Amino acid sequence: MAFITDHILSWVAFAPALGAVLVLLAGRSPGAARRLALGAALADFVLSLHLLRHFAVGNGADQFVEHAPWLAGGKIAYSLGLDGVSLWLVLLTTFLGPLVILSTWRAITERVREAMAFLLLLQTAMIGTFLARDMLLFYVFWEAMLIPMYFLIGIWGGERRVYAAVKFFLFTMVGSVFMLVAILWCYQQAGSMALADFLQLELSRGQQSWLFLAFALAFAIKVPLFPFHTWLPDAHVEAPTAGSVILAGILLKMGTYGLLRFAIPLFPLAALSLGPWLAWLAVIGVVYGALVAMVQQDVKKLVAYSSVSHLGFVVLGLFSLTVTGAAGGVVQMLAHGLSTGALFLLVGMVYERRHTRLISEFGGLAHAMPRYAAVFLFVTLASIGLPGLCGFTGEFLILFGTFGSRLLPHARLLTALAATGVVLGAIYMLWMYQRVFLGKLGERNRDLPDLSPREWAVLLPILIMIVVLGVHPAPLLERLEPSLERILAPVAAVRPTESTYGLAVREPADQTAAAIAALKGDR
Amino acid sequence: MNGPAHATTLGSDLAQLAPYLVLAVGGLVVMLADAFTGGRRKDHLSLLTLLVLLCVAVAQGAVHADPRGASLMGGMLAADRFSRFFNLLVVTIAMLTTVFATSMFERDGRYRTDFYPLVLFAALGMMLLAAATDLLSLFLAIETMSLAVYALVAGNRGSLRSSEAGFKYLILGAFASAFLLMGLALLYGQAGATDYASIRRAIEAAPAGGLLLPLACGLVLIALGFKVAMVPFHMWTPDVYDGAPAYVTGLMATGVKAAAFAALLRVVWLLPPVAEVWFPLLTVLAVLTMTYGNLVALSQNGMKRMLAYSSIAHAGYLLLGVLAVLNTSRDSATAVQAAAVRDAAGGAILFYLVVYALMNLGAFGVVACLSRSRNEEADAIDGYAGLSRRRPFVAATLAVFMFSLAGIPPTAGFVGKFYVFDAVVKAGLLPLAIWGVINSLLSAYYYLRVIVVMYMKPAEGQVHDGHSWEAAFTCGVLALLVLLLGVVPGSFYALAAHTFRQMTF
Repeated sequence: MAFITDHILSWVAFAPALGAVLVLLAGRSPGAARRLALGAALADFVLSLHLLRHFAVGNGADQFVEHAPWLAGGKIAYSLGLDGVSLWLVLLTTFLGPLVILSTWRAITERVREAMAFLLLLQTAMIGTFLARDMLLFYVFWEAMLIPMYFLIGIWGGERRVYAAVKFFLFTMVGSVFMLVAILWCYQQAGSMALADFLQLELSRGQQSWLFLAFALAFAIKVPLFPFHTWLPDAHVEAPTAGSVILAGILLKMGTYGLLRFAIPLFPLAALSLGPWLAWLAVIGVVYGALVAMVQQDVKKLVAYSSVSHLGFVVLGLFSLTVTGAAGGVVQMLAHGLSTGALFLLVGMVYERRHTRLISEFGGLAHAMPRYAAVFLFVTLASIGLPGLCGFTGEFLILFGTFGSRLLPHARLLTALAATGVVLGAIYMLWMYQRVFLGKLGERNRDLPDLSPREWAVLLPILIMIVVLGVHPAPLLERLEPSLERILAPVAAVRPTESTYGLAVREPADQTAAAIAALKGDR
Repeated sequence: MNGPAHATTLGSDLAQLAPYLVLAVGGLVVMLADAFTGGRRKDHLSLLTLLVLLCVAVAQGAVHADPRGASLMGGMLAADRFSRFFNLLVVTIAMLTTVFATSMFERDGRYRTDFYPLVLFAALGMMLLAAATDLLSLFLAIETMSLAVYALVAGNRGSLRSSEAGFKYLILGAFASAFLLMGLALLYGQAGATDYASIRRAIEAAPAGGLLLPLACGLVLIALGFKVAMVPFHMWTPDVYDGAPAYVTGLMATGVKAAAFAALLRVVWLLPPVAEVWFPLLTVLAVLTMTYGNLVALSQNGMKRMLAYSSIAHAGYLLLGVLAVLNTSRDSATAVQAAAVRDAAGGAILFYLVVYALMNLGAFGVVACLSRSRNEEADAIDGYAGLSRRRPFVAATLAVFMFSLAGIPPTAGFVGKFYVFDAVVKAGLLPLAIWGVINSLLSAYYYLRVIVVMYMKPAEGQVHDGHSWEAAFTCGVLALLVLLLGVVPGSFYALAAHTFRQMTF
């Protein structure tokens, strides 16, 4: 077993890719391909549990580190690491992986072998992105992620799938090419591609601003932050259910993860001066996404816009630049992954039965499918942040952290505005629920079958995790916080003199420790 | 850089010349073999051609590059690692071209036997071009290569477009040769010698100023720019690439381009003293080349034309690398640092040329593979609709080539661009790198279009459904190489950088 445990991160990252090769070679019949893919995804989940079991609590540094020279005489390395933030996002990925594959059983009937292979390859790329501790390696995984998703949307998607797939690809690439130049520039300065060496760079405020913008653009498009969100509704609506679940559940988190892991700690001066602008965009996104979601006719599109709103919360939490706010951001990423993933699965299930997602086509569905309606209600409540379910923990921590942030100007105003998003979220979700599930049952919906055992198997794990995250988030937070303190340390080391949107000059503080202490007092 | 070592004996000269001699004799043998074998089955000629190319590779492998950078025939040719690198690349390209061409002839049932000796002579010209370190050998090599390629372009005798393309290329090529000759004459007039080393010494000794030298260098640049399809000397490219048979287009886009860039890299050593004049202009041309190629490629409906414009764009990326090489010689903090960046840039160019050859030949190979016959080439992009169902394997290889051309990881195309842009940034040309990535963004759109058509559109109307096992297999190998170089490019890049470092002039 040492053979596996010594390189556990590589195994977790590449087990799905091995599965994909296996599927391509041996998945002659659709059934075989599905079973092989499910097996690979389950195996990956089991492997990732090893990470959870052996993760040293209280240690904020990277664990299970793997390092091997790759290019340029080792200046560019195959370097993987796992800290508290990566741990949970990797677990989210491996947890959703098998469920996504299980959800395709009836939804994807054509070219099953290829679909399974792409799903597994996507999982490898996503896990690699969360684990990479070398900038080029990160970039490779980040870009490689595009290819399988592009095919998933483009081949198995809805009517306007080609448009959506190309839009998705090009939008993401617009951001990432500038990030590539920024990475190249830093590489020249640092002499190595290691994230640790990038963190040591001493850059002027002007340099940081440009680099921060290049990085933030890539991540903001991926999040997506208002006004870069326009690809998202198209991609979501056209993608097959499995694609939507991965897109909402994990892919969008790449953006927020990137902001947290790279943009903020690498360029702390710029994060302090330009971060408030992003926080404003995030709050605009929270309100805008909620308002647009409210008027949607299509359930899937409604859920897609609700993602814009929820991810806005995450970005706000991150740019509060407090550990509490950032922890809330990460928890919200996980909660959103679970609840929105479940919502897309549920929407997909009813679409398989009725081949429509228009709200007006439904009504009174609770009579025909009572169990389905109950599960939907449960997930809806989780999504709008009912205390005791996962959505609450994240939102609460974000609002709490932002409200007390001393590094974010107008923090209280921003918090108040974002809080209206919570209310709006409750309105559009419950209103949608009312129109779809309550009222009079239409003729055509009378004979819809309720949840099948397979569908229960897909949903039940998510429902359990939704409760666990809401009731007992302590294990999550205690693994998260030391890492977040480490990540935010460069920001804490900067002493703010004035705080008005980058107009004032900020000087690096001499007393790093004092600043960190001040930040901790903030919590 | 070492100066030329004139004191080589005839014996070692001959040994070093072995690859060229084998190829020249081999070409003649193939020609004679064609004349003396009757009958309609001519497929043994392809085997003979491949055998000749294999012998060249073996001869090249057996000859050790002289670490001192020996020059042959009194400074006419260099027998350094650089030549060796390009010789092996050219042989590989010629072999692949032969395989694709033969697969096409088989489907036609008619062998164009003149193809085989011509491809060998073209390869000879390319090898000489990459090795030339003298104005005379430069000219002879360019002409040897070009004459063979003119004939190859017009090789599809039944097709008017092919003849037109050949004629166009001949006329414009003759113009380029005239520019080259004029430039060579001026250089000779200035330096009083024809070998690069003496010219460089004369240029450095000469007082600064004067327009003649920049003019001479400019004329040579124009001629080489014509061969690599640099804007504004690219006009012939779309028509010629479009008109020539697909396998010849592949040869031109990769072999001719690689050899011309090799010559350019050697000539660039003459430029530093006149770089003040040429550097800004070359910068503008490189930017135009990239941008023009990508913009026009966006609206193409034919695969070969699209690849033609894409090849112009790729020439632009390569020129960025050349600019990086030049810039480090121009102004630099320390000599050691400059040399490091220069080697990085040179290595990046060589690496990119190889990667470009693999992915572009692969793409043209797929075109050849899917063509029903020489007169029904798989050109219309719409005809690729539904390919992923008809020929999943071939479609997958073409998808790999397209992603690689667009520079998406984990393909070799990404690594190539990474090395080039990295060198450009290191050479202090950040704006050019930014423009480069914007361009690769543009290019993603038209490469993706091919994938969209193959994977996301149902087949309807006239679709391409030719098939050839050899071609498909070869494309598969190329796709595998593209992926392999995308994941573990390290040692190959090190080899390329090392090769460049030992280049003599």
